[in-house]
Amino acid sequence: MAKERTDLMQGTLELLILKTLERESLHGYGIVQRIHETVEDLLKVEDGSLYPALYRMQERGWIKSEWGVSENNRRARFYKLTRAGQKQLERERANWERVSKAISRILQTA
Amino acid sequence: MQNLLTRKRRELELEVEEELRLHIDFLLRDNIQRGMSPEAARTATLKRFGNFDRVRNECVEICRRSCPLQRAFKICLILLALTGLIVRIVSIDRHVAHIGVTLIAIAIAGRLLLYVRSLTPSRFLQKNKPTSLSLF
Repeated sequence: MAKERTDLMQGTLELLILKTLERESLHGYGIVQRIHETVEDLLKVEDGSLYPALYRMQERGWIKSEWGVSENNRRARFYKLTRAGQKQLERERANWERVSKAISRILQTA
Repeated sequence: MQNLLTRKRRELELEVEEELRLHIDFLLRDNIQRGMSPEAARTATLKRFGNFDRVRNECVEICRRSCPLQRAFKICLILLALTGLIVRIVSIDRHVAHIGVTLIAIAIAGRLLLYVRSLTPSRFLQKNKPTSLSLF
């Protein structure tokens, strides 16, 4: 039976990107691959939507980028979490936990 | 000035395009390695990536918006408008008041110029620029 895929909730992509970059710096494709591997196709993520999110996050100072060389020796832009991004990740994680706890409580009482 | 702005935008576009194309090439390679035919891989890649032109334009626009020069220009426009407003309010002489109004008008025109530029797709500024994605 085919898995059901859920559209990503607005604002969630940023949280996923921050979490993915927490351990290591990655290029765009690496980030998407890591997200797909983790969520195992349960979430529908259009690859192209990643880049505007990355650029916006860079504008806000949550991540920074530098050009490097990819595994196939091509020039690639690698993204890295900044200290501000680390703090933002903690805020967004706490916020997500609050929201999901609240929704769970509502669903349990219904 | 227009040439400088156009060149700057083109440089930004090329950088963004390079990044997006790398993503597409990786995706295409992986799809072929999974056993898809080149044509099926191409279709699957484009479907999963989404609209290339829209993504590129959105990224370029974000880059431009966060450009320090553009930010400085916006701050200058705000200061110009405030100066014009103060001059207009405190001046008793009619000619000085006109200068204030002129400053406000220049600031508004500058802001409008930035707004119109942000709406103008680069393809209208460029000649011989590829606008669609080509694979293989």
